[in-house]
Amino acid sequence: MIDLSPIWLTLKLSFFTTIILFILSIPLASWLSRRKNIFKTIIEVIVTMPVVLPPTVIGFYMLVAFSPGNAFGAWLEHVFNLRLVFSFGGLLVASVIYSLPFMVHPIQSGLSSLSPGLKEASYSLGKTKWQTLTKVLLPNIKSSLLTAVVLTFAHTVGEFGVVLMIGGNIPGKTRTASITLYDEVEVFNYHSANVYALILIALSFVILFTLYFINRKMQVRYL
Amino acid sequence: MQYTIKALITEYQKVHAIKIDAVLGASGNLTQQIMQGAPYDIFISADTSFPQKLSERGFTIEVPKIYAQGELVLWTTRYDINLSQNLQLLLSNNIKSIAIANPSTAPYGSAAQFILKKYNLYEKVASKLVTGESITQTSQFIATGAADIGFTAKSIVLSDAMKRKGKWIELNMHDYPPIRQAAVLLKYSQKNNYNEAKAFYDFLFSAKVKEIYKMFGYTPAPSKKEE
Repeated sequence: MIDLSPIWLTLKLSFFTTIILFILSIPLASWLSRRKNIFKTIIEVIVTMPVVLPPTVIGFYMLVAFSPGNAFGAWLEHVFNLRLVFSFGGLLVASVIYSLPFMVHPIQSGLSSLSPGLKEASYSLGKTKWQTLTKVLLPNIKSSLLTAVVLTFAHTVGEFGVVLMIGGNIPGKTRTASITLYDEVEVFNYHSANVYALILIALSFVILFTLYFINRKMQVRYL
Repeated sequence: MQYTIKALITEYQKVHAIKIDAVLGASGNLTQQIMQGAPYDIFISADTSFPQKLSERGFTIEVPKIYAQGELVLWTTRYDINLSQNLQLLLSNNIKSIAIANPSTAPYGSAAQFILKKYNLYEKVASKLVTGESITQTSQFIATGAADIGFTAKSIVLSDAMKRKGKWIELNMHDYPPIRQAAVLLKYSQKNNYNEAKAFYDFLFSAKVKEIYKMFGYTPAPSKKEE
């Protein structure tokens, strides 16, 4: 049987990336969904950029920024004894940046499409912004939240370029499934490569199917 | 080879007015692409096994020929690391990451692994090893300081881009299996450019270029036909 640890590593990376992004993106998406100004627009563009930029660009800049040979990387090492190159932590930081738009956009869209009356009613009944967000707004965009979570997760599963640039191919720490597949092809182990590919396809299918299935059930319920 | 090939092409173009495109990539990667029909006339590899695979599967016109032998060096761009021939320095605590090319696909990587095993260091430093997917990426890890130290090709540390960066030492050639680099003329060349491709291919083994190989840190292949 083939070594399944790269699959677990991929799942672990996707899971933690999704959780971190979920926590970070709710306030960010909420802020972006409210009345716009030029500053917000700039932030919106920055949030969207990882979708447009080739992953190797993100990977490259991270490699340079976090390298212990450069100022920032050296500082991290000196103060926190932390090296973000060639480590799971580094991949996590990179994934959070890389998958940020996939979490923020659906949530932001969802919040923007809610009728403003909902928010206003809540405020006029004395609820704070936070209470309104968590008890009124978010529960009404469950479908968007689910989309965001699932897309982020699936997107991280497929991550390759960034991991290739800053991972260092360390088994158990940075050797994800996508990298392993690539390596197996390079050494002509087509059978192994095929197995990894099929597992990844099956995973993606199950994840997306679950999304659509739950989404449909939700829509039926709210009619 | 990426720096050397540029010099070879420039030299060739002094006499022949022909356009030559050099596509750079990891030997393993390129081999896969060639097997899927990639449009290359000549394949110049960092080893012998990849061209051999292509030859066995019928993608080449002749068997692979060795053009040069590569040399392994230990390289660092960190100021606080002192290099010596004694590889035990790799065990020290201030070296946290050692870059090598992927031993399964890059001959410089498997040579590095071999030498580490020979000196009983491999198991002890295994947790510090960082693998680049090609010798180029490995060198990039070392050059940017992302890896504290690493094993790379002499041709990289002698190149214009890298020669002022950090310090390096040559490793004893008897400590690792020879890195014999081979090239092949691909069947694809018969589609359009056979004559031109053959001419440049022969040029790679000519007496004229031996100086260029030496300049770039390779040992030129012996002139004898049998190798």
